[in-house]
Amino acid sequence: MNIQKVGVIGAGVMGASIAAHITNAGVPVTLLDIVPKDGNNRNVIAEGAVKKLLEADPAPFMDKNNAKLITTGNIDDHLDWLKDADWVIEAVVENLQIKQALYQKLDAVCKADCLISSNTSTLPLALLTKDMPDSFKRRFMITHFFNPPRYMRLLELIPGRKTDPEIILAVNEFADIKLGKNCVVCKDTPGFIGNRIGIYWLLYGLLDAIDNKITVEQADAIMQPFGIPKTGIFGLLDLVGLDLIPPILYGMKLALPPNDAFHEVNRLPDILQTLIVGGYTGRKGKGGFYRLNKIEGKKIKESVNLQSGVYAISVKPDLKEIQEARKAGLKALFSHPHPVAQYAWRVISNTLCYAASLIPEICDDITGVDAAMRDGYNWRYGPFELLDQIGLPWFVEILKSEKRPVPAWLLNKESLYSTVSGKLEYADVSGAYRPVKRAEGVLLLSDIKQQSKPILHNPSASLWDISGGAACLEFHSKMNTLDMNIMALINQSIDKVQAEFKALVIHNNGENFSAGANLGLLMKAIHDQNWDAVADLIKQGQQTYKNLKYAPFPVVGAPSGLALGGGCEILLHCDAVQAHAELYMGLVEVGVGLIPGWGGCKEYLRRCLQLKRPGGPIPPVVKAFQTIGLASVSKSAFDAKELLYLGTNDSITMNKDRLLADAKTKALALSKDYAPPKPYLYPMPGKTAKVLLDMGIKAFHLIGKATDYDVIVSGQLTHVLSGGESDFTAPLTEDNILALELEAFLTLVKQPGTLARLDHMLKTGKPLRN
Amino acid sequence: MKNVVIAGYCRSPFTPAQKGSLAKIRPDDIAAQVVKGLAGKTGVNPEDIEDLILGCAFPEGEQGLNVARLVVFLAGLPNTIAGMTLNRFCGSSMQAIHIAVGAIQMNAGEVFICAGLESMSRIPMGGYNNMPNPALYEVFPQAYIGMGDTAENLAVKYQISRKEQEIFALASQKKAYAAQQSGCFDDEIIPVTGKYGTVDKDGCLRPDSTAEGLAGLSPAFQAAGTVTAGTSSPLTDGAAAVLVCSEDYADKHKLPKLARILSHAVSGCAPEIMGIGPVSATHKALTRANLTLADIDIVELNEAFSAQSLAVLKELAIPPEKLNIDGGAIALGHPLGATGARITGKAASLLRRENKRYALATQCIGGGQGIATILEAV
Repeated sequence: MNIQKVGVIGAGVMGASIAAHITNAGVPVTLLDIVPKDGNNRNVIAEGAVKKLLEADPAPFMDKNNAKLITTGNIDDHLDWLKDADWVIEAVVENLQIKQALYQKLDAVCKADCLISSNTSTLPLALLTKDMPDSFKRRFMITHFFNPPRYMRLLELIPGRKTDPEIILAVNEFADIKLGKNCVVCKDTPGFIGNRIGIYWLLYGLLDAIDNKITVEQADAIMQPFGIPKTGIFGLLDLVGLDLIPPILYGMKLALPPNDAFHEVNRLPDILQTLIVGGYTGRKGKGGFYRLNKIEGKKIKESVNLQSGVYAISVKPDLKEIQEARKAGLKALFSHPHPVAQYAWRVISNTLCYAASLIPEICDDITGVDAAMRDGYNWRYGPFELLDQIGLPWFVEILKSEKRPVPAWLLNKESLYSTVSGKLEYADVSGAYRPVKRAEGVLLLSDIKQQSKPILHNPSASLWDISGGAACLEFHSKMNTLDMNIMALINQSIDKVQAEFKALVIHNNGENFSAGANLGLLMKAIHDQNWDAVADLIKQGQQTYKNLKYAPFPVVGAPSGLALGGGCEILLHCDAVQAHAELYMGLVEVGVGLIPGWGGCKEYLRRCLQLKRPGGPIPPVVKAFQTIGLASVSKSAFDAKELLYLGTNDSITMNKDRLLADAKTKALALSKDYAPPKPYLYPMPGKTAKVLLDMGIKAFHLIGKATDYDVIVSGQLTHVLSGGESDFTAPLTEDNILALELEAFLTLVKQPGTLARLDHMLKTGKPLRN
Repeated sequence: MKNVVIAGYCRSPFTPAQKGSLAKIRPDDIAAQVVKGLAGKTGVNPEDIEDLILGCAFPEGEQGLNVARLVVFLAGLPNTIAGMTLNRFCGSSMQAIHIAVGAIQMNAGEVFICAGLESMSRIPMGGYNNMPNPALYEVFPQAYIGMGDTAENLAVKYQISRKEQEIFALASQKKAYAAQQSGCFDDEIIPVTGKYGTVDKDGCLRPDSTAEGLAGLSPAFQAAGTVTAGTSSPLTDGAAAVLVCSEDYADKHKLPKLARILSHAVSGCAPEIMGIGPVSATHKALTRANLTLADIDIVELNEAFSAQSLAVLKELAIPPEKLNIDGGAIALGHPLGATGARITGKAASLLRRENKRYALATQCIGGGQGIATILEAV
């Protein structure tokens, strides 16, 4: 089954953003909603939803042009547009009768092999299909997306007893490869996996904080050591929407068996009701547990006192003692007498016990539960992985000492996951260990790292054998920043790969490919006024990247997340890039008062010059300046193509787990009859282009869009990008451009303005507008 | 010397660059329809036309090569008509008229089409490959000064407040809207047809402009400045054309004589205050026509900016009732190469409509220049 056309019914936040994400896969979508009672435009709801999608932040579309792939209409007039759809997703209001009536209509309109699914998060599948014929039940399942669908990797698949296995496979494959989802098959139980555990955790955290006078800031801060995002408990409740909690709790109350531990946390505290009644429904309302209050034109973050309901300026909690204890591990944190540490113990231990009690009720094995919490709630570790991080035997002993029930299958185990002969295994409820299976086409560097030893290694980078003749260069410095260790390892890798491999992939399994050069090193040299060291830093980077570019084997970059500054520059030197769709790539050096100095200007200029379009000497230079001068960062890999950071030979992988395998395939394909690129000659216009660009900057400065120091930095950038003193009849070599980069870099590092920018970035993580 | 007359004027609708209805139509196609329309409207025998002189401020891309010659072909005019593209920035198509006058008076032709075009949607201001001379820029950067900055300079030099500029802009909007509503443009507009339909109405006008609205706009060129988008002429697409011939020819072929061209002039000034260019050009043209400003009944002063127009008015005492009576470029738009033909053709038409004797059409020009034409009713 090939899914080529999708229908989405219900253009609310979820329906519309699911539609948007399906267009990110290049698949056209018909988006229908009801006809409003008033007004002339019968399609206004779906049309309005697409408009909102275009303005939404974070952006649901990876490329705004994808909006054109959505056809909008209404269910009264246009249901027949779904007759050739391969998959129809129902995302209408959580009302059983409405959904059932819609299924009757869909069953009549849709072609026989069209898959129909519901995005319900509260209604059981058995009820949804109760009166439907078996033919419908065979093509029906629940596909539960998490919000926002572009960014949350989890897709819960809940097949019914009669759902055709082929359909489950087809959705799984489409969602995995085309939508980048991690699909977890769940049982038809209330809240499935993610929300069953997630809502329990949120409510336990909320109620316990109220009972034990823990502040919202303390509660949220203490979740971070467990790999839980900064939003913690209260920030996440605000994000979800406080008004959604009462109906969810009501639904759970009705649906769960009477002995379920969920009932212990199923109560609405007064503070929650007060907030909802007052319009404090979370981020979508006036605020929630946190709010942004405008005082004298400034937005001040405030938080609510859980006892009094009064807002006060939000303060960072003082948890130094606990942080100190945490250095000795999570056990030490839990053992600390501080009330906040004890709060953490109660919340986490009860949540983990609850999760353990749900195996196999909600999912056959722990890997599905862990994946659901990682990809649906952005936890770094799933509950069972977290148990291993804490130490399972210790955890069990404490439960026993507190005379709390311990799920039997947790007993007598050292850990829930273990690596046997390099293969990762997990414990099942029977007590046996089974291998963790990876889907075909999934290759994880983390697995390779468990199964083998690096070929080359230093504190910042390693080289791994990823089989088939390909090697993988991994950065593992802090934030994957680039330093001289990495440069050294690249040069060693070039010799090694040349001797023993066919191709090289540059990839790591961090959240971000690279945040750029290690600015700390640069700062030290600047403070010491050691300009020779700065020059050496630049020259080494330039030479190393050049070595990589002209190596006698293909080099394929496989980035995901941030690829900034030097991280962007290394990708620009690769023969090809296999990018994860979520790629935020950019030459952002001007933000710290510098220019790209490791060949970024050189490689980006070449892309602009080689772009086939009518032109002349000026447009490529203007394009390069617009991109680098404004520190443009791509909002996706598709956007990176628009920005020319990625070229026509570069490809995009939607599922991060498939990135390394795709990159490896690409690299090995390139290795057949591989020849390094021929050096490029740069026909540069010279000073005339600099004058033109400088006039533009001056105009920007006059209107207040460029700061005083922007003018200085841009002045150096325009010197490089115009080709210095050259004339377009006498093309420059790559080395000429590199020399210009070096000269401009060395000029800028000596300026106090650059030092101020660097200092500010290192201290705050944000650019200084001096 | 032979008398030379304007024997017809028309233009395309003027619409805003990028957002307007002409944005998707090539400038040569717009100009060809206007030129063809002019030939049809005047009834001139095309075989008699000596030359198509076409002004353009950025003659490249779709308005590049020798676009005048291409417009002859596109308009379906006889191959015997030559074509010349000329560039004096904003004064280009007024200059086209001046060249025709000179040619007719030296007996180098009887009938000329003098036109102008500019698609500011499709060819950026400054062109695609602006390559300033670094040596000149170093010693004389004002040679390349941006137009907005020249308006700011005049506002400072002549102490023109932001409020005064906004009052002037609002008046232009009101006059243009009133003229549009009463059908004053209907005769001069040639509908232009493109792939996406026919455009027959000006699109730049902002009849909903208010003093409060204008006062709320941010400065457009200098953060501390007074010139805003509301007090500047908008980037515009359009074309305009006039038929210029000897009076004898017009009489012989019974062409409608709108006005006689009495004199014309160009002049230079400091580029950083280019907007003051009309002052010296007007003085020269008046002297050559043996007239004084007081003799002039109708004035078409191109409104590049409110500040620029007001600076000119501080030097040239022109009563408001004589000035741009159907509105000016702030409201109607300013497709650079086309404006000269529009305001000269407009001044000639107004002499007839208002039953007046003398008219002045004048413009400022980037780089520090002025151009002026004096017309007399026939």
